Amino acid sequence: MGTTASQLGKDLLSEYQELTFLTKQEILLAYKRFSELLSKDEKYVLNERVPMDRILTLPELKSNPFRKRICYVLSTSDSTNGSLTFEDFLDLLTAFSDSATMEIKSHYAFCIFDFDDDGTLDCGDLEKLVNCLTGETDETKLTAEEMRQLISNILEESDIDKDGTVNLSEFQHVISRSPDFVRVHVY
Amino acid sequence: MASEPQRGSREAYDYAEVRNRSDQQSLRLRRVSSRVSNHNYPENDLRPTPAEENEEGDSGPPRELKTIPLPMALKRAVRQAQEMHVPVVSRRQAWRRRKSLHKLKEKARECLHFFTLWRKSLQKIGGNFGGGVESYFLFLRFLVVLNFVSSLLIAGFVLIPSIVFRSVGGSAVNGTGPDECTVYDPNPQGLDLFYNYFLNLLSGTGFMEYSYLFYGYYNNTTVEDRNFSYNIPLAYLFTAVFYFVFCLICIIARMGTAAQVAVATGGGAVGNYSVILFTNWDYGCQGDQATKLKQKNILYRLQVDLEEESRKKKTAALTLGQKLILYSLRVFMFLVSLGLIVAACYGIFKATNFSQIKSGVKGILGLVYEYLPSIVITIANFLVPLLGDQIARVERYSPSNTVIVALLRAVFLRLVSLAVLLFTLWRQITCEGNIESPNCKLCHYNYNDHPCWETRVGQEMYKLTLFDFLVNFALLFLAEFPRRMVVDNWSSKLAQWVGRQEFVVPANVLGLVYGQTVVWTGALFCPLLPLINTIKFILLFYFKKTTLFYNCRPALRTFRSTYSTVVFLVVLLFGWGLATVVMVYSLAQISPSRGCGPFRFFPSMWSIVPTSFYRLSETTQDFLFFIGSQSFSIPLFALSCVVMCYFVALASVYGKSVALLRAQLKLEGRDKQFLVKQIEELSRHQILKHTAGAYE
Repeated sequence: MGTTASQLGKDLLSEYQELTFLTKQEILLAYKRFSELLSKDEKYVLNERVPMDRILTLPELKSNPFRKRICYVLSTSDSTNGSLTFEDFLDLLTAFSDSATMEIKSHYAFCIFDFDDDGTLDCGDLEKLVNCLTGETDETKLTAEEMRQLISNILEESDIDKDGTVNLSEFQHVISRSPDFVRVHVY
Repeated sequence: MASEPQRGSREAYDYAEVRNRSDQQSLRLRRVSSRVSNHNYPENDLRPTPAEENEEGDSGPPRELKTIPLPMALKRAVRQAQEMHVPVVSRRQAWRRRKSLHKLKEKARECLHFFTLWRKSLQKIGGNFGGGVESYFLFLRFLVVLNFVSSLLIAGFVLIPSIVFRSVGGSAVNGTGPDECTVYDPNPQGLDLFYNYFLNLLSGTGFMEYSYLFYGYYNNTTVEDRNFSYNIPLAYLFTAVFYFVFCLICIIARMGTAAQVAVATGGGAVGNYSVILFTNWDYGCQGDQATKLKQKNILYRLQVDLEEESRKKKTAALTLGQKLILYSLRVFMFLVSLGLIVAACYGIFKATNFSQIKSGVKGILGLVYEYLPSIVITIANFLVPLLGDQIARVERYSPSNTVIVALLRAVFLRLVSLAVLLFTLWRQITCEGNIESPNCKLCHYNYNDHPCWETRVGQEMYKLTLFDFLVNFALLFLAEFPRRMVVDNWSSKLAQWVGRQEFVVPANVLGLVYGQTVVWTGALFCPLLPLINTIKFILLFYFKKTTLFYNCRPALRTFRSTYSTVVFLVVLLFGWGLATVVMVYSLAQISPSRGCGPFRFFPSMWSIVPTSFYRLSETTQDFLFFIGSQSFSIPLFALSCVVMCYFVALASVYGKSVALLRAQLKLEGRDKQFLVKQIEELSRHQILKHTAGAYE
């Protein structure tokens, strides 16, 4: 850690395999993709931080409506500029991998949807979320009436303690009912 | 003093933090860790909780590192902390063992990952077209693997022994009965032009008829050596029966996993908005187009659901007269669709009869007559669902119900048309079930028209399979590519209105189910049919993938992907049921041909089992009799009832505990609010007291 590396060492690779849900091939592929984002002199410093606008040129993130939130949530930088190191990048990939547990996915999903970073999803967060999901242009937005109906339905369904916001446990409860998140683990 | 109120609020902060430890703490960590130095590492959170430690006596790290939602650096710290937590030697050994086992499992999983068929293609399809279309291709892959394994089974137990023992071995039973029935000469006389060769390939006659492809070629050979005996007729029968049982087990196993998911999510009723909103975004979407499409999809779905909700409120408020009109309209439409299906079946019946009458004609016209049943079935399967769509529009069911009703109608039509074809064949073979009629009296089946009736049935199924494949192929080149070229290059209003083709999942799935049902029906009479079907489905995968990416635009109306798996498998089970009925009937009732096949000297196909049974040793016979007797089956039945009651009780207990936990969650929320209010009051009280004290 902290040494120069143009190639991932075996120890580091097995450590990453242990700490994430990615397979060895996936980690190596991620390393290749990440080093393409680095300029030539940055390549030889491990834990180099890549600024957000370069991360957002990745084709998988380029059109994702949540791209900026993803970078902000997963970044460990001191300033909130959304820059990612390679380890942050691996954390990103593991959160979205197929074998990640529901706990991880729901935790990160909650952080991403919490637009004002206050730890709960209130009406403002939900409205921004709906607009992200349906598109920001005028013709793809729901009408005000529909939005109101939708948000009241959501709060009725998910807000169990009736405090007007959805916190992490309520969020996880809703998610556990979703078919895409239920996984049958064979251990 | 100034520090005291801070301490008070600091205490409050700590208390609140401890209270929300599990959720808020980890949330704050991500932001706090980047700003604050080391002393903020929450050691009390990451050490195994006391409860976990007590439960697992001598286990190693109780919580997998991967599942902790922390940045990588913190996970490393946790790991170091956990490694220091394994002081006792025996604990360390057990921990090491667990680790190596874990590593082994990881390696095995990676290997399996590598061998999954078509994984990348499926990912690409799912990312670009959504889960509904991907579920079709997953279903297709499942059928490919099922057919491949079954063809290996059949090859191993029937085909290879037949090839090996063809010259060796004698027949098990010698022939009795009239000699005219045993004459069977499938080999054609005269020159074979290339033209005829091609026709024979397509219809399974001529050189193809007397080959390993069809039942008629297999012999009644039994090989008996000193310590090795192989009875081909028995092997043939058991392989066929086991093939059906094997397919049933595979389907049910797969349905079990899918149904588990469906049950756990407790019904995906309309109006499950939170689930739609929180889980519906597909992070695998790549590219602007796919993203915009997904957004349009979600918008459409939300609007449809909201509209359906308001419509439900309106229908609940319908007057009696309006309701009466709606229901009578629905009954009328049901009768109309039933009439359509009956008309299609009658058409198939007539076509099959006509084709039989004209079966001697040679040349292209002969080929057309041979394929007439398949042609009529395909036309019916194309027209009736189209009309069904229009009917459904009149009936005004809710959108999700409309899809299910259309699917059920189409399934019914397809399977009934196949049943009608089989029924007409049966009529001809057994002279309408009347053994005493002049044609059938001698050999118990219609000898004149069908000297080897099993091969005839096998040929029909072979033709259906081939024709289905050819139609798909032809549609690809004659309908789908041209449509896309017209729409892309001709910018008129008509072209835009027609638009690029949509990949309609239910119709395609029905095609697969139909093809598989045909294969199941024909497997007894045409043992190589599963192998042919494997090749056909593999080619179909590539064709459909090509047409998907080049010609189709993604559907706006999505077909829910979780329920679709269960629905496809249920529909497949209908097909399996039809094929089983056919197989059981052929095995038990119809007498086998005298002139061909491995059962030629038996009164029915099943009768070989009792014959071989009595050749087994005494103890084996007694054991098998015991298993079939009442003294075994009644206790077994009682035991399975008890087991079932246990599971039902367990399920109801789980349901009750879920409801209880939900109520507890609500109470916890109220507790939290109450306690926070108390804390605020207390701290306010403290501040007031100390400011009052400071002024004294």
